[in-house]
Amino acid sequence: MWTWDFFVQELVNGLTLGSVYALIALGYSMVYGILKLLNFAHGEVYMIGAFVGYGVLTVCGGAVSPMFPIYLLLPFMFLAAMIGAGVLGVVIERFAYRPLRAAPRIAPLISALGVSFFLQNSALLLFSADFRSYNTFELSGGELFVKGIHWGALNISLIRIIVIVTTVGLMALLTIFVNWTRLGKAMRATAYDREAAAMMGIDVDRVIVVAFFIGSALAGAAGVMVGLVFQRVYHFMGFTAGLKGFTAAVIGGIGSIPGAMLGGLVIGLAEAFATGYLSSTFYDLIVFGLLIAVLIVRPTGLLGKADIKKV
Amino acid sequence: MKKALALGTIVAAVAATAASAMTRASSSQPTASAAGFAACTSGQIGFLGPLTGAVAFLGKEQGNWAKYAVDSFNKANGTHFRIKNGDTQLNPKLALTVGTKFAADKSLLATIGPAGSQEVIAVGKLFKRRGMPAISSSATNVVLVDGRYPTFSRVVGNDSVQGFTDAMFMIQKLKAKKVVIIDDQEAYSTGLATRASAVLRSHGVNVQRESVNQKVTDFSSLVTKIGSDVNVVFLPWQVAANGQLFAQQMKEQGKNAKIFGSDGLDSGDFTITGAYVSSFARDIHGLPGTKSVIAGYNKKYGTKWSTFGPPAYVAAQVIATAYKAACSDGKASRAELLKNIRAVNIPSSILGLPIKFDKHGELKGAKFYVSVIQSNGKHKLVG
Repeated sequence: MWTWDFFVQELVNGLTLGSVYALIALGYSMVYGILKLLNFAHGEVYMIGAFVGYGVLTVCGGAVSPMFPIYLLLPFMFLAAMIGAGVLGVVIERFAYRPLRAAPRIAPLISALGVSFFLQNSALLLFSADFRSYNTFELSGGELFVKGIHWGALNISLIRIIVIVTTVGLMALLTIFVNWTRLGKAMRATAYDREAAAMMGIDVDRVIVVAFFIGSALAGAAGVMVGLVFQRVYHFMGFTAGLKGFTAAVIGGIGSIPGAMLGGLVIGLAEAFATGYLSSTFYDLIVFGLLIAVLIVRPTGLLGKADIKKV
Repeated sequence: MKKALALGTIVAAVAATAASAMTRASSSQPTASAAGFAACTSGQIGFLGPLTGAVAFLGKEQGNWAKYAVDSFNKANGTHFRIKNGDTQLNPKLALTVGTKFAADKSLLATIGPAGSQEVIAVGKLFKRRGMPAISSSATNVVLVDGRYPTFSRVVGNDSVQGFTDAMFMIQKLKAKKVVIIDDQEAYSTGLATRASAVLRSHGVNVQRESVNQKVTDFSSLVTKIGSDVNVVFLPWQVAANGQLFAQQMKEQGKNAKIFGSDGLDSGDFTITGAYVSSFARDIHGLPGTKSVIAGYNKKYGTKWSTFGPPAYVAAQVIATAYKAACSDGKASRAELLKNIRAVNIPSSILGLPIKFDKHGELKGAKFYVSVIQSNGKHKLVG
């Protein structure tokens, strides 16, 4: 247990899990940053993304005999899930949140909860409570799991490398978009002060739609990653993942994009190391204990900034 | 004075309304005798099982075999029993909700199931209060027949037998020196893990205990903890899909320990070549008296079934037999059915065992069997 290969293995396990949490947390942070709204339906958007990926895989012949080679099939699954989840996010914003923008803050929160239950039960009705499996161990003779880095006791499968690299790539793209594009600048301005941004001629509605699309698309990508690595998709999978993603966003600093990335990785690593060095019985205790500890020591989160109000 | 009069009028009105409601309620409730006649007329037998969810394969198979048994019994005996399904998703809360509905239906005199030990614990006291006999074909925890749930019976062995059988197989056949036992934090799993662990340790085997929630979707961190000196990983789990993922993640990380699953992993969702599974019933193909039963089942429901189905057939058969005897005078009660169930004596069943219960509802002479999964997916009996 106290060997370097054990540590690195748990590190990789934690980074894989943390990547998923980070992508979900980004959606929470982006929406909160602009609208000051906790989008509790976000976990269900991730679940729908996972189902879209499953649907694409099934339509393309399934894992046992796919119609396309893996290097085409996987990007297609990601793209379909991201677009599907993104569109769903936009629809949710348009019909569940936009009409309530001027309402007291509790109203869109309750609406978010309602959307969450609606999506969960819609998935239950459409897909039943049976678990679906991506069955990726059968995909191309299991090469996603057999190939990779194998060095002594250390084994890092290809699929985990793909997940981590894809997450880093998506986060890099998001960072470039937010910091170096006009629309990204508009998003930052809207997050800083929505009214002032509107007065400066920024189309705030469009900015919000883009934020929802991007945040939801990232959750859709996370759904496909979970399906590929952990196989199973089912109607209730968004609940726990959404909760962990929200926790990650809060730990990192709700409203902060770098914070969401960091928070996700922290939680993933905490779970992996808690399981590896302590016991899997305690990992939830450790994750939520970490949340409490961070909030006590730094209430705005690790990278969050306190709101300064001029009086 | 006026206030006292007003208060008195309100109290009287409330009392009158309550009395009226109670009268209406009691007049709409059938008397015990009427319910007994209704039960024999309706012939309902409840089925509590996970028809959807993570272990839907188990519930559907049990449900199909139970229905097949009832249909076959009706055909042979001129009865008209029918199954009333209740989906529990292997969730104790749902089991209690559905169990409450069943218990409240006075024309429903007995239930097949629930499937999981945690579900039996959830509904056990309710069924005890309402006198509802229940026969499970898969709940194996030892505590279920310790007297707390006197209306409960089962047609399979208990975890004390399974834990001993599994542990001795690991010691004698697999020559295990170090075993990792991982329970899934449910009653069935922890009981079985404790029993197996005790037997292994008493024979000098090094046992490492771990625990993981059934709802976990990633076992990779736990798999990393399995050292190269571990011979066997014992998974007394209920969700076979979890076992499948665990085994795949073991292969992903290059872990070579043998996997041994309890009866929960004896399913089409767990297909790891070279893994061992124990089961409370053996494959009934080739057993005396099963050829026509199997042919009839396969024709109606297909050939994809495991060892979970036939015990449900036997459970349904026991209830139907007891029910028919109780209804010989045109009416039956739950107490009568329970008495008949405990007195049932089927000398030869499709499980290859006689069916007879002890006073606690435990099947006499129950055994567990160990098989290894072959590359073609079939199970070969090895113990």
